[in-house]
Amino acid sequence: MRKHFGWRVRIPVAMLVVAVGLTIAATGFSKTSGAHAVKAAGLACGLGTGQKATGTPIKIGAIAVKQAGTDFTDIPNMANAYFQCVNDNGGIYGHPIVQDLLTDQTDPGALAADAKQLIETDHVVGIAGSSDIIDCAVNSAYYKKMHFNVLEAGIAEQCYSSPAEAPVNMGPRYSADGATQTAIALHAKKIAFDQSNVPGTQYNLGGSKLIAKAAHVPIQFLTEDAANINGETAAEKEVQAAGPGGAVVLVFTPPVALQILQGAQHLGLENKVIWTCATPCNTDFLATALGSAWNHKLYVNAEMNLISQDNGPNSVLYQKVLKLYGSNVAGGIGSFSQFGFLLGQLAVKGLLSIKSKVYTPQTVNAAFKALKNFKTDFLCKPWYFGPLPNNTDFTVYPQDGKMVLVPKSGCLPISTVDPLVKQVRAYEKAHHV
Amino acid sequence: MPSWSNFQPFIPIGLAAGGVYALSGVGMVVLYRATGVLNLAFGAIGAMGALIAWSMINTWHVPAGIAYVACILFGGVATLLYGMVFGRLLAARDPLVKAAATLGLALLMLGVMNRLWPAQVTRSITLPTDNTAFTFGDASVDWTQVIAVGFGVVMTVGTAIFLRVTKIGTAMRALADDREITATLGVPVRRVEAAAWFGSGLLAGAAGLLLADLVTLASDGLTFIVIFTLSAALIARLRSLTVTFVAAMVIGLVDNLITPINSITNFRDMTPFVLAIAALLFFSRERQYSFARGGIR
Repeated sequence: MRKHFGWRVRIPVAMLVVAVGLTIAATGFSKTSGAHAVKAAGLACGLGTGQKATGTPIKIGAIAVKQAGTDFTDIPNMANAYFQCVNDNGGIYGHPIVQDLLTDQTDPGALAADAKQLIETDHVVGIAGSSDIIDCAVNSAYYKKMHFNVLEAGIAEQCYSSPAEAPVNMGPRYSADGATQTAIALHAKKIAFDQSNVPGTQYNLGGSKLIAKAAHVPIQFLTEDAANINGETAAEKEVQAAGPGGAVVLVFTPPVALQILQGAQHLGLENKVIWTCATPCNTDFLATALGSAWNHKLYVNAEMNLISQDNGPNSVLYQKVLKLYGSNVAGGIGSFSQFGFLLGQLAVKGLLSIKSKVYTPQTVNAAFKALKNFKTDFLCKPWYFGPLPNNTDFTVYPQDGKMVLVPKSGCLPISTVDPLVKQVRAYEKAHHV
Repeated sequence: MPSWSNFQPFIPIGLAAGGVYALSGVGMVVLYRATGVLNLAFGAIGAMGALIAWSMINTWHVPAGIAYVACILFGGVATLLYGMVFGRLLAARDPLVKAAATLGLALLMLGVMNRLWPAQVTRSITLPTDNTAFTFGDASVDWTQVIAVGFGVVMTVGTAIFLRVTKIGTAMRALADDREITATLGVPVRRVEAAAWFGSGLLAGAAGLLLADLVTLASDGLTFIVIFTLSAALIARLRSLTVTFVAAMVIGLVDNLITPINSITNFRDMTPFVLAIAALLFFSRERQYSFARGGIR
């Protein structure tokens, strides 16, 4: 017998359907519609043939952190956006690139298993596009043992010391070094350095500690629970720690940095100290949300160039690829997606350089290791496979809702007071890279 | 030890946070007393309302005032829907099962929010009252903070009066005492429960909006702020609105006032747990606490 539902059931169900519909509509799902309808022919991705690659796929792995308060999946997602563009333009001599992305929640056991899964179960031929808080710490030795040379956006100390890792970025430590240098250059009397209480805090602050000491500027270190932060409380704490004439160095993801800076604005603290921030703050989202009240008041160390002020070929291509293929790159234009794009480009350059056109872990990782002299308008200097190839960068600040280069700031060399920077500069001088 | 001037700026921040925790706590206690459901999805509902408001403003370009009203209404409607569908199905179950079901709702909503509003995007809600501030001692106080405290006070007093003088409020109190006898006396139990679900949801929406401005517009952060609210409600043994209010203000204040003390500042997140455990241990000296709806026995 057929059951008829009364109004007591129908009305709530109808309301539920309407509520769900409104929710989905309100989130702007329409932003991705039609994006892939536009053809990528003519874009200089890889071979740039305009022909779709249909051969045997080349599997490239990546691992990224994705947890409350810290989500770096924009980096592999943007690398994959570039791979898609390459696949629509001839691929790697007819072979499409397939990304195998695993996400991590700062779980060392799971992360070790992830690396094994990529290499031994999924049989990826290379790893490019990773960005994880503890991947280097957990898996560097394993990658070395398996002869994998990883292209990544680094975070942990081991990313900058393992011969099996090559980051496109400076990571929080060296970018924070740059922010600390800027604070000192602006005559800060004391520095309050604040970051998330995730693994690696001591490593992140190490360079700034040495730089501040060398400049005879006192520095105080603070941490916050990024997933449960009250922006006003954090901002007041930082300003009190910095004191009059002091500076605050922020090392947070953009959403958390925004909470703190808006908290500072609520309390009228934007003029009380010099505000500086590591690379993640270099995003127009942040500048737009802060508005003109923060014009020229937040100095951001930017590891990548400023897309809005640069019409270089790489910057133009990056924006086109992001528009056509980057629907799941949630943060849009910004340093994180630039890291991903550059990682995608480097992986493709490596793959295209394999003369045998045989793509095995041996050939691919040898090709990654041999990468050098990669010129891009994203960086101040050409990139090469090494522990810290990106060690000279930019300084930007917000102006009317956009990030702009600080006039006459040029390229800022990260201080050689930080020991690794000193070693790297010596290596570059000796090897002319 | 920091000086008094170091503590002063944290007082308005703590009071504002406490005001919103009180607002939420009142909604949680009223719902629990009327329906027997401890709504652990309170924060998630407010979070989703605030994110919908953000999308309405930034994607649809709807006037902010309408979006704020939509946020509050979403809280009411979503909570009412849950109450009408699942509240009835679980009416006869143990309070622990009912609470666990709302935890399921919270996790489901968290998943939906993380999917629809990815954490990488920088979002914020700025109320017009943020832009006007005054100085009190060494502290800067903005009008959103004043509204948060005032709203907490007004809702606590207003709800207490509502429960005491109105017919539906009296029915809610009767339900809290004995559902079966109240139903036998001819009180429209389902209608009274629906009012409790809806009213509690409106408070969730309002709290979500204020917290999105004062604290964060992040789905995870707002969802788990329910811990502060829950602690205040537990200190009040899920019965007294006045104690809920006072506990919420104390939690907000203590959490913020220990911030400038360097030796313990990194343990701030423990504040609601420590205060709730201390209060429960204190109350349990003579009486045994029970999770059952009767509260203390």
